[in-house]
Amino acid sequence: MNAVMAILMLLVGAYLVAVLEGWVSTGRLRPAGPITSGLALLGRESVVPRRPDRIFFEVAPPLLLVAALLAAAVLPLSPGLIVADLATGALFVNAAWVYVMVALLMAGWGPNGAYAMVGGFRFLGQTVGYSMLIVMALTAVAMRAESLFTTEVVKSQAALPNAIYQPVGFVLFFLAAMAVAFLPPLDLPTAPGELAGGVMAEYTGWRLAVMRLGRAVLVVTLAAAVSVFYLGGWLGPVLPPWAWSALKTLLVAAVMLLLGRYVPRLRETHVLEWGWKIGIPLALLNIFYVGVLLLVV
Amino acid sequence: MLQTVFTGLFGLAAIWFAVVVFRTSSMVRSALALLFSQAAIGAMFLAMQTEFLGVLQLTMMATEMAIMAIFMVMYMMDPGGLGGMDMTHQKRASQVSGALGGLAALAVAFFVGWGPIAAEVRPGEQVRGLGLEIMERSMLIFETAGVTILTAMIAATAIAIKRRGKE
Amino acid sequence: MTTLIVALAVGAILFGVGLYGALSQTNLVMIMMGVEVILGGALVNLVAFWRFLHPEAYSGQMFVLIVMTVMALDMAVGFGVATGRFRARGSIEMEEARDLKG
Repeated sequence: MNAVMAILMLLVGAYLVAVLEGWVSTGRLRPAGPITSGLALLGRESVVPRRPDRIFFEVAPPLLLVAALLAAAVLPLSPGLIVADLATGALFVNAAWVYVMVALLMAGWGPNGAYAMVGGFRFLGQTVGYSMLIVMALTAVAMRAESLFTTEVVKSQAALPNAIYQPVGFVLFFLAAMAVAFLPPLDLPTAPGELAGGVMAEYTGWRLAVMRLGRAVLVVTLAAAVSVFYLGGWLGPVLPPWAWSALKTLLVAAVMLLLGRYVPRLRETHVLEWGWKIGIPLALLNIFYVGVLLLVV
Repeated sequence: MLQTVFTGLFGLAAIWFAVVVFRTSSMVRSALALLFSQAAIGAMFLAMQTEFLGVLQLTMMATEMAIMAIFMVMYMMDPGGLGGMDMTHQKRASQVSGALGGLAALAVAFFVGWGPIAAEVRPGEQVRGLGLEIMERSMLIFETAGVTILTAMIAATAIAIKRRGKE
Repeated sequence: MTTLIVALAVGAILFGVGLYGALSQTNLVMIMMGVEVILGGALVNLVAFWRFLHPEAYSGQMFVLIVMTVMALDMAVGFGVATGRFRARGSIEMEEARDLKG
């Protein structure tokens, strides 16, 4: 029952994020936008490119959706509303996000197309840049919570949310989360102007609908992760816990989507360079800083 | 009972994917089959209630094998696998030694008396126990591993980086 | 007991498959993949032994961490060597790497 409720709220969140994304990118608020475009996609002809790598071509969109759902399964919406409260929850979300990268690699190689392949391999370069940042930021969060249970992480922020306790970690995790969800300015795999859609270019019809749904669920999952690990999850004074979770998640998603309008796309060389030369030392300093705060202060 | 079924199923998946690695001629399929074989091994760990190691295996192997996919596309002669080249040598010797090695290990698995089976440890306790082990008894081992990783990183970068001015 | 035997059997078969792969392939990257499969089988055995025989001794899990580290390191240095060889010769086929003289 709890699992079903959590998944329903996740789908509602994905719908709202899709509406937000449409609003941010076109300037018009269309509340029924995702439904109409989803139905239109399902009705369109499904064109398969010439000689694709069949296994990868078929498996990539569902794998993207499944990876996002698995990551969302360990994030709590309220004290009891969690699909699976794993003892290594904070590490499991990272494992699920890595399979997003696998799915995009498959989607890059599968369709036997130049733009898709370039997009897929550029995303792999981006992954090498951001994956360390995510894990190190989560390490500092787990240090404060003294546990890897996601519910414990939320409860440990009762005094002060992690965004204020470890601001450097918050900024790094926020940027790395935008990189996982390939949101602009880190949208190398689907670079709309440059790669004509990149990884999603060769997908049409119902496969494209599954991929877009997977991406919306991924954005919701990442926004929920930022709110659970850094903004205090369900904690808050007046409203019921699930309302606080929903509010924080939507706020984080809105900020992520808005940032893309003001920053040009980052090349994967820059992502790698800044991620490893600036990001990792900052993440290590963050761990040291949190350690000093926890043990000394 | 359920644990045996799941462990067996994931084990069969791991073995099947490992065989696909060497039977297919497409290089990217080979790399991703290895990825799914290691992921099945990680799922076996989860089925055996070793949660931390299972999640760690899933994460690390996915990233490593995806990077391996890039290297295969860079260096192999036929990454798409449509050329139908035979890239093996010493076929008879390798089959025999593979079979002998597997049989020897199977014989050890079946014919040794392993003793009583211990009760499980809860995953939360495992994470805490592993952390205490790393920090107390195996601290030197872990630090040595860290220095080894750093050395390997520097060595690999030094081999792979292009020398300026000599080309 | 059955689960332990099943896990050990899987580890044994993975070892055999990996040995076949490591010995039969001509390409350096494929040989490394065979070694990865062998180490994967070793990991399965280690975890089965830890979980079913001595779950109170966390040095078993420590061993698994070290083996995972070794897998990553051997791939990293192996790819560095492959890059160097590719730059020098244009291919990483081990059949062509028999002679010491360049």
